[in-house]
Amino acid sequence: MRKERRKSNKLSDILEIPKEVAGNEPKLTIIGFNELLIENYRGILEYEEFYIRVNTYIGIININGFKLELKKMTDEAVCIIGKIESIDIENIADEEEA
Amino acid sequence: MLIKILLSYIVGYVQIAVEGYFAQRFINMCIQNNILIWNIKRINTTVFVANVSISDFRQLHTISKKTKCRTKIKKKKGLPFFFERYKKRKVLMILLGVLLVLIMAVSNFVWNIHIECDGQINQEEILAILNENGLEVGKLKNKIDTNKIIRNIRYEREDIAWAGLSFKGTNAILKLVKAQEKPEIIQEDKYCSIISNKEGVITKINVQNGTAAVKIGDLIKPGTTLVNGWLEGKYTGIRYVHAIADIEAKVWYSKKERIYKTQEIKSRTGKEEEKYSLKFNNLEINLYKTLSKFENYDTIVETKKLKIFSDFYLPIEFKTLKNYETQKQIITYNAEQIKEQNIARIEQEIEQTIEQKENIVNKQINFEEQDTYVEIEIIYEVIENIGTKEKIVF
Repeated sequence: MRKERRKSNKLSDILEIPKEVAGNEPKLTIIGFNELLIENYRGILEYEEFYIRVNTYIGIININGFKLELKKMTDEAVCIIGKIESIDIENIADEEEA
Repeated sequence: MLIKILLSYIVGYVQIAVEGYFAQRFINMCIQNNILIWNIKRINTTVFVANVSISDFRQLHTISKKTKCRTKIKKKKGLPFFFERYKKRKVLMILLGVLLVLIMAVSNFVWNIHIECDGQINQEEILAILNENGLEVGKLKNKIDTNKIIRNIRYEREDIAWAGLSFKGTNAILKLVKAQEKPEIIQEDKYCSIISNKEGVITKINVQNGTAAVKIGDLIKPGTTLVNGWLEGKYTGIRYVHAIADIEAKVWYSKKERIYKTQEIKSRTGKEEEKYSLKFNNLEINLYKTLSKFENYDTIVETKKLKIFSDFYLPIEFKTLKNYETQKQIITYNAEQIKEQNIARIEQEIEQTIEQKENIVNKQINFEEQDTYVEIEIIYEVIENIGTKEKIVF
């Protein structure tokens, strides 16, 4: 499974395909301090006004802030707006490797 | 994404409040089932609101059962709900429909004809040609044969070089380009003679080619032959040539005017009133009831076509009548006053008709006083090059 992924990584590197398109790695885009776009996500684990936990294929993203809203949601991307205070990441992939 | 949300506005969407402890499970299930859900807002720990389109709302029922959430519709938005609200007001809807149909029907006609031309042109004559060929105010647009009209305009009017007809809204725009009048040029190898185009007295005649038909001091009229386009020789007989000559003549420009000593002068008192009326084609509706309160007055009529937007003319004209009160005054002038007032004006009028102002050699003012009037005659003497070439026709 992991070998396969590495192969595809090499191929997409040669072809210069963006990572978020080729693999399952999430792409986080912060626009200003009030908008966060997460592509390639798996699901929402927790949703409160001050705390959002988003599950991705390689880990969990925690977003702290105030008045957080899920502006747009599709099966590929989620757009969070609100006053974002901090973003922290829990990396599962590294733990697995170690 | 944004397009989807916009589309859902057209299709209609609802704002729902979801109550339950497993809000994130509810959201995840929505996404897994391909339900578009947006603008999710937490209200408190157990309740959040979100937007869902109408078609997806039915699927939410099973999800809310699974996740043990309760859903409630808070707001209904979008066009279907909007129409639902106005369904009861049938008269309004019918009238809106009728209005739409009327506007569409009315926009198929020509309600205004606009003639654009770079120079001066008699608009009424052009309009008459247009009317003959089927372009009239109130005609259906698609029944108008633009090519035929353009052809006929060019055929009937020689002074028009180009015509273009286009429709803009309910406006028919006719663009005209005037042809420049060209003198008939006779080629060097063609035989021609020179004839006079003005009335005057010959002061100089210098023939290069041809035979002179007039002498210095001869009185000529328009049409008099000045130089004949042939040469007569003793032995060669008559030989036709292309006449070339330099002819100068003294030409008179005069103007005579009779000015009465007692004149009636109309002047405005400054009082004015406005009256309005509406005009549908031939039917006119006056929006006023009384006649003018002035005894003597001038009336200026202005008509304006009503239009919606910039090009959509309606078949209604708005007429404004402006009445200016006038006064009649009888003034008597003496001869000196008349001289002062009129000579400069007449001079200017004459000078406008003279082409070569620098060649004015003499100016004469005749002044004749009678009991009731004064006659002024001003004569300008101008030395001009005259003569136009005319082909010799055998």
